[in-house]
Amino acid sequence: MPSLKLPLWRSVEEHAGSAGLDPTGPSPEFAAPVQPVTMDRRSFVQLLGAASALAASAGCFKPPDDKVLPYTRQPEEVMPGNPLHYASASVLGGYATGLLVTAHEGRPTKVEGNPEHPSSMGASGVLEQGMLLQLYDPHRLGFVMNRRTARSWHDYLGSMLEKARELREKRGAGLRFLLEPSSSPMIARLRERLLDLYPLAKFSTWSAIPLQQINDGAQLALGAPYETRLDFSKAQVIASIDDDFLSSLPGTLPGMRAFAERRAPGESQNRLYSVETSVSVTGMTADHRLRARPSQVVSVALALAARLVPQFASLAPQKLSADQSKFVDALARDLKRAGSQSVVLVGPRQPPLVHGLVHAINAALGSAAVSYAKPVLHDLDAGPRALRTLTEEIRAGAVDTLVITAWNPAYGAPEDLNFGTALSSVPTSVYRSLFDDETAARAGWVLPATHTLETWGDARAHDGTITFQQPLISPLFNGITEIETLAAFLGEGDRSAYSQLRELYKDRADDQLWEKWLSDGFIKDSATPAEKVAVRFDAIAALAARPAAVASVGYELNVIPDYKLWDGRFANDAWLLELPCPVTKLSWENAALLSPATARELGAVQGDLIDIGLHGPPAHAPVLILPGHADGAVSVAMGWGRKGSGEQLAENVGFDTATLRHSDAPWFAAGATLTPVGRTHPLALTQQHHVMEGRALAVFTTAALFKKEPQLLEKQRGIPATAHEPHDYSHGYKWGMAIDLSRCTGCTACSIACQAENNIPVVGKDNVRKNREMHWLRIDRYFTGDDLENPGFVTQPVACVHCEMAPCEYVCPVNATVHSDEGLNEMVYNRCVGTRYCSNNCPYKVRRFNFFAYNNDYSDTEKMVFNPNVTVRARGVMEKCTYCVQRIERVRIRSSVEERPMRKGELVTACQQACPTQAIVFGDLNDPASLVSEWSRDERRYDLLYELGTRPRTAYLARIRNENPELA
Amino acid sequence: MAQTALEARAELDPRPLMIGEQDDGSLNKSILDFVWAKPSKGWWALFLLGMAGTGLLTMAISVTIGKGIGMWGNNIPVAWAYGIVNFVWWIGIGHAGTLISAILLLFQQKWRTSINRFAEAMTLFAVMQAGLFPILHLGRPWYAYWLFPYPATYHLWPQFKSPLMWDVFAVSTYFISSFLFWYLGLIPDLASLRDSSSTRLKRRVYGVFALGWRGSARHWHHYKIAYLLLAGLCTPLVVSVHTIVSWDFAVAILPGWHTTIFPPYFVAGAVFSGFAMVITLMVPARKVMGLKNVITARHLEAMCKVILVTSMIVGYGYAMEHFFAWYSGNEYEAHVFKNRAVGQFKYVYFMMWTCNVIIPQLFWFRWFRSNIYVMWIISVLINVGMWTERFVIVVTSLQQDYLPSSWADYHPTWVDWSLFTGTLGFFGMLFLLFLKFVPAVALSEVKELRHELEHARREHPEHAHENQPVMDLSEMEGAKP
Repeated sequence: MPSLKLPLWRSVEEHAGSAGLDPTGPSPEFAAPVQPVTMDRRSFVQLLGAASALAASAGCFKPPDDKVLPYTRQPEEVMPGNPLHYASASVLGGYATGLLVTAHEGRPTKVEGNPEHPSSMGASGVLEQGMLLQLYDPHRLGFVMNRRTARSWHDYLGSMLEKARELREKRGAGLRFLLEPSSSPMIARLRERLLDLYPLAKFSTWSAIPLQQINDGAQLALGAPYETRLDFSKAQVIASIDDDFLSSLPGTLPGMRAFAERRAPGESQNRLYSVETSVSVTGMTADHRLRARPSQVVSVALALAARLVPQFASLAPQKLSADQSKFVDALARDLKRAGSQSVVLVGPRQPPLVHGLVHAINAALGSAAVSYAKPVLHDLDAGPRALRTLTEEIRAGAVDTLVITAWNPAYGAPEDLNFGTALSSVPTSVYRSLFDDETAARAGWVLPATHTLETWGDARAHDGTITFQQPLISPLFNGITEIETLAAFLGEGDRSAYSQLRELYKDRADDQLWEKWLSDGFIKDSATPAEKVAVRFDAIAALAARPAAVASVGYELNVIPDYKLWDGRFANDAWLLELPCPVTKLSWENAALLSPATARELGAVQGDLIDIGLHGPPAHAPVLILPGHADGAVSVAMGWGRKGSGEQLAENVGFDTATLRHSDAPWFAAGATLTPVGRTHPLALTQQHHVMEGRALAVFTTAALFKKEPQLLEKQRGIPATAHEPHDYSHGYKWGMAIDLSRCTGCTACSIACQAENNIPVVGKDNVRKNREMHWLRIDRYFTGDDLENPGFVTQPVACVHCEMAPCEYVCPVNATVHSDEGLNEMVYNRCVGTRYCSNNCPYKVRRFNFFAYNNDYSDTEKMVFNPNVTVRARGVMEKCTYCVQRIERVRIRSSVEERPMRKGELVTACQQACPTQAIVFGDLNDPASLVSEWSRDERRYDLLYELGTRPRTAYLARIRNENPELA
Repeated sequence: MAQTALEARAELDPRPLMIGEQDDGSLNKSILDFVWAKPSKGWWALFLLGMAGTGLLTMAISVTIGKGIGMWGNNIPVAWAYGIVNFVWWIGIGHAGTLISAILLLFQQKWRTSINRFAEAMTLFAVMQAGLFPILHLGRPWYAYWLFPYPATYHLWPQFKSPLMWDVFAVSTYFISSFLFWYLGLIPDLASLRDSSSTRLKRRVYGVFALGWRGSARHWHHYKIAYLLLAGLCTPLVVSVHTIVSWDFAVAILPGWHTTIFPPYFVAGAVFSGFAMVITLMVPARKVMGLKNVITARHLEAMCKVILVTSMIVGYGYAMEHFFAWYSGNEYEAHVFKNRAVGQFKYVYFMMWTCNVIIPQLFWFRWFRSNIYVMWIISVLINVGMWTERFVIVVTSLQQDYLPSSWADYHPTWVDWSLFTGTLGFFGMLFLLFLKFVPAVALSEVKELRHELEHARREHPEHAHENQPVMDLSEMEGAKP
């Protein structure tokens, strides 16, 4: 393979190509290897633009050069040491989530949710947090390639110049664009204009996690692909059919918040039922959970519809087990009782029929939580179907030029499409990518892409709100935006994405309003309105009456989007790779999830390698036994087993599911074979023991029991009897935290937010296997109940609880961990000699040790991610949660400059800020009005390991399950 | 004074402390000859083995300091493992020296004279091994001096509440006093070596170390007082050092560590392992060095009895820990002890009971106490058993404490094993050098004993037979051809 050399230059002279002539230039032994003529991106787009303009004899005006402005406010506001916050957005699956990005001296260091934005409400998910590290990834592609050779922009220009002229003559015949799902008005405009110029060109959209079936279902049930909008504040009884709406993945954040608002016990507490194959975050949170094979999920939906929708009463009864019937009966009665206060949800992976059934059920229930609106995405058909059409065109030789801005179709496409091979046969292909990945290996021209945080752009939020992406930093790796990639074909390559964007909104906003939009991050009240729809019961019933043929042999396969890598695009992100899966606690890889019974049937134990065979070559996967998983099925997460040469961290980590996914059945399939291969593979699990051993740790009970005995937890809180006079903390601030387990879904957004805020290093797979992960905040996940096959779940975020009587402090021989007069258990890194005695004596085991110099081998770009307010710890030093002491001090400085006390709500910890369900509160316990004081007085409050007398400052609020008495 | 004690003991145990008709000349010869003789091939072989171990130790130390504690198998929750296990094990081994030197001296147990030098040297070298580990197990060993209360410019002091702090004082005091005690006892013998030196150089070197000892009555007077005073000072150390080491655990709130029984149980365990190590080293040494006449069956048997007693104290400790775990009703404590018996290290736990409690019961029978082969094997097993005891205490308690979410297995690495075997090699090397360069038996004390025995025989001829060799050691070594 030709070597990939980044064209480098170290001086203006060298850049100008005079190296070797200049006696002051580099000596011959340091001379760069022969390089293609280098040209920067700007010159390239200018040339391409000018050339296309000539070729097209159109687009005569030439606006002035725009400088890419990393700041929305004036740069003179930049004060060293003072971070600035900018509104921006992340776009995944075409939907925008408003972000507020913190930048220190021009480098983004932390991503938060935008509190005003409807898709975030201040919260952020795992992926939003994780994408920050991707910005600085040294493995990112930083130069143009053609057929695996480093080339210059000039070369690309030369080649494309010809092409554009040629295509223009052919009116765009053979020109195809394969785009990322998008709701961007800017992209919509560009597409229109491209079609004007190239009328025969075609656009298609690809996503490995498409919403195609939602739209097919809506088409079936509503006659048009309306989008469902959910308002959980109006839902008392919620039934999720394979819908993981509590997992902090794209688009789930506002739903999580609204759901959690009704989680406190009482009259208004909602009740969640979940039907699913594998265990999801939603399933772990559910009050009642039914495990079912994928085919049974459809049966359950049919049975539920038959009980709830009068028009479907005549449907043939489904074959359900006794447990399933009991569950469905109770659920149907509960939904009916709640009437308009109930809602049924369905996940995007379910077939259109189930979507149709759910639309019908919600209509029959008169669910107040459901409303419909016109879709915000340009292309609803973004899945294998669209890709198959394109692939067939390529095979037929109808595609001459293919421009890809979608993420890595060669990796994510189902194996049967053989898209990668097809792509290799396209005469001219252009692929814009962050990494030299699987698609880049097969594309002709590969252009480096800008990261979200380097991009100007726009997109709509889940409710249609127009949201802006602002760059926080000039492109680090010479990237080009999607807007610029497309505009270049319009002869406007010399225009920046910003000028395109500004022009689009010129009519709607003067400069003042425009600046307000940008600093807000979105246009207020730009959501798309709700529409009146009518459900077509007949069409659904007609489809439901036709029994789907389900092969009953073999195991059923269930492919799930990964909680951390999503479709795989985050596979080279060390934070996300190391973050334990919220459900399995598996880090650095994926596994074949099996129920205990299925594993027994196969004679496999945890960590045995098995072959999963379905269509093509089998996938080799380690077994992970997951109690609560449906029997007779295997679940695998997609996004792993990457083979691209650029993504070195991701390479061969986990296994690829592409061979298991067929374009007709990308999510579920029957007839899989599971064969143990007789080898084992140690799994990198961050939690190996999953039952509480009867200890009251993550306390949970049912609403009925708690109502009967509200004093249940009285003996688990307060100041235990002691011979010592407790220290008086009643003056000044008294910091404390409270975590509501009823609200916590276990999504792990807090954990990675903490990692980003506190410069927590990544230790790698081997060290995770040795239990040396460094996350200051971990989510303990326990199985509950007596049924080992089908347990309940409870999740509990645990970080340092800042004991008032801290066992770690008195054992440290060098005073490296001490108590502040505000009650913080402080860690003095530069005093620590690393005896690790503090960790031994910590009953919560929240202390983390730098077994190696984890912070030593960062590249120059990765170093930019560090929060300058937090010490980067050395080898041999203990560390742990500080209650974000740097944030406390920043607010203290601000308040003391303004000569006032700190205000309520002014101070939030990183975990609290990220938490989508607001399960974590932090503040002053001396202020009786603070939320943390309020929660500490709650009757559900208890102290973890109260009996040890450590007097933790972090209070927990017990998880209360709202049990349906019929299913108790 | 000395005679009374001697006579009182003689009634109970008539077997000799010295075999044959010895005079000062023959004692000089048997004890000093090994020093003057050229090292044998066997000595060289063992020495090279010790050197190899030392090399391995050096490499493992370099790796640990160069790369980090991550090279060990430690993790969170098992943040302490081999490092601390080895530390406690070596410190424990050191205990026999102090006990024999100080306490038995104060109790006028005459049988100690032939073995005290040996045991003291062992103590010294064991403490040297032990002292390595607290430094090596630090995340940042180059800052180990922060544990000492030195006048730092930033006015920072160590934290006196921490048992690790107490360890620093306990172990350093222990090392210093053991060294002084050993060296003080050596002075008359160094003078003997000086006087019998064959070359000028040897005479000079030993002369320097003999500190001008001339054997005058005045010297002996001061020497005896100083020795007795040091013995008095060292006596509390026998109890204090391992008590403080046990506080490293007992002061923590970890189930399995947090228990009041630890100090006596650790001290007994230390004496137990120390005596076992003395036997392990002495049985071959006395044979090779021809010291059978001064280190007799009676010495060995006395040590076996001490081992038997301490073994039962240790066994009582094990049993009581389990009893407390059950009787206290503390679920965390109960779980830890259950985990010891059925968890990842159940075999280690089983070995602990077998080696430390069950096998030493054989010493109830005189045959086992007098067969040096059996005795040697048992002593080695006890050394192994005591190592497993410390492993069980340190590792299995940490493995499964309060929150099951953090429970984890532990797997030692090659660096862990190298450090341990390396210290065995280093210890062996130091010991061989000791045997080579100074008398392994306290010559002056043995001579004093001979003198006292002879005196007693002359004064009380009716008891003379009691000090005759009723049983020759060679008879007891039944297996010997």
